[in-house]
Amino acid sequence: MAASAVTWSGLASIGRACGHIRSRLLGSSSTLSQVSCLHTSPELNSKHWERRNLTVYPPQTKDEPRRPAEIHHCRRQIKYSKDKMWYLAKLLRGMTIDQALTQLEFNDKKGAKIIKEVLLEAQEMAVKNHNVEYKSNLYIAESFSGKGKYLKRIRYHGRGMFGIMDKVHCHYFVKLVEGAPPNVEQKTGFDQAKEYVQQLRNRTIIHSL
Amino acid sequence: MFAIFQTVTRRSQFWKNMATSICRTLKYFQPITCQNIKYAASLLDVRLVPVLVPVRTKKRYFIPPAVNVKERTQTEQETKARAAGVVVRQQYIERPINISCTAGIFDPYVPPEGDARLSTLSKEGLKQRTEQLRQSAASQLSIRKIKDHDPDFSTKAFPELAQQIFIDAHAALTEFNKEKLHSLVTERCYPEMVRGNRYKTLRWRFVESLEPPRVVHTRCPDMISKGNLYGQVTVRMHSRQTLAVYDRFGRLMLGDEDEPRDVLEYLVLERHLVNPYGSWRLHGKIVPAWAPPKDPIIKTVMIPGPKLKPGDEFESLNYQVPKPKAVQWYK
Repeated sequence: MAASAVTWSGLASIGRACGHIRSRLLGSSSTLSQVSCLHTSPELNSKHWERRNLTVYPPQTKDEPRRPAEIHHCRRQIKYSKDKMWYLAKLLRGMTIDQALTQLEFNDKKGAKIIKEVLLEAQEMAVKNHNVEYKSNLYIAESFSGKGKYLKRIRYHGRGMFGIMDKVHCHYFVKLVEGAPPNVEQKTGFDQAKEYVQQLRNRTIIHSL
Repeated sequence: MFAIFQTVTRRSQFWKNMATSICRTLKYFQPITCQNIKYAASLLDVRLVPVLVPVRTKKRYFIPPAVNVKERTQTEQETKARAAGVVVRQQYIERPINISCTAGIFDPYVPPEGDARLSTLSKEGLKQRTEQLRQSAASQLSIRKIKDHDPDFSTKAFPELAQQIFIDAHAALTEFNKEKLHSLVTERCYPEMVRGNRYKTLRWRFVESLEPPRVVHTRCPDMISKGNLYGQVTVRMHSRQTLAVYDRFGRLMLGDEDEPRDVLEYLVLERHLVNPYGSWRLHGKIVPAWAPPKDPIIKTVMIPGPKLKPGDEFESLNYQVPKPKAVQWYK
């Protein structure tokens, strides 16, 4: 408990004090969010999403496999519901960028147009600033929506009653990674059922005769 | 002692009375100021302390966008905001001007075409052409002017110093040591060196100098007012260096760390002569028109092509990629 409390306060202080300073990952633990042993929850991720583009990795040697480029992009305070945006975000996870753009082009939801703009921006950023060679060679590794700041208004009911109406806003986050998307093994229901039965069969009764 | 005790009590009694009366008056005013300011004027007592007029001083961090805005033009909105009490800070439209360095290279040196090339011309002729600093009268005049202001300057010792400044500046660039870099490089040269390199890793090494560096050109322009002298000295340097540029993810973008290359450079160093605390700093580089083209970067880049009409095919157009003109430019 104490460890997590320390890191949370450390992260908060870093976020407050030096938001504009670029972080260099040269083996030092100055960027706490990059160290894998720390607990990074989705809420902590979304606050520093733009800053994740500022990490610099040390140069690779010739025998190391080429590190794929990662581009983080987001749009804040979109006038749309985070739950409705979730459906689109879930749709795009794991797709190539071209496939994602075509799907969004023919989707009727309001958020689809916005996400398409975000993806195009991210693609352009990748080619211009992050040294990505082929703009189609990107896939969507992470895509999720978060709650933005709500405005409160009054909704008038009958008999002098009122309700507080929330004008919802959401954020949309996307992480593009260079390369081909990883193959996700499609598990059929039959396979899952077979696994379940096998698990049941593997049970043993201990301390039995 | 009894008398003192009595005066103390009387004094404290006096203050207590004062305090209660003040409290009562404040309490009297508090509800009024909270509710309706219009009626406060009638209840004001001129003898007492002036009433506290409430002013909204709490800063609103989020002002929701105005709905049903009647005032459309900017001036109307401004007057309404000012009437409401919104204070907008005065905007200073300023443009910073740097006076410690000039904005460019004045009367630049044009390097002769056959420099550092094995040519069929006679060796003596080439030597004569390249080594003659004395030919240019303007250079001699400017050297004399520099020596007036800086007695330590000499054309024999300066090139070594210039090379050292160059090596130190590039070493500071690889480490990205901003303070040191600013002291070694002028404000005009700094953004050109640093642009785009913030999230990249540079690995640069000076292997050796193939020829001793030489001063080839000097000029002493004066900016704005007559006495404000800046000295610009061009130094020719032929050396061997290695450079490797890695992008944000540690992948090689340009160059090779192990392969040294022969580089012929014309560095321009500048100093604000009138300033007693000025120092010689790298101001820029001159890239001659006949310089060989640089190596292409490792990745493939898309360049915009010609606009096609609906019936056309790109292959049938025989489009030639336009090559840039060979002109001398300054880095």
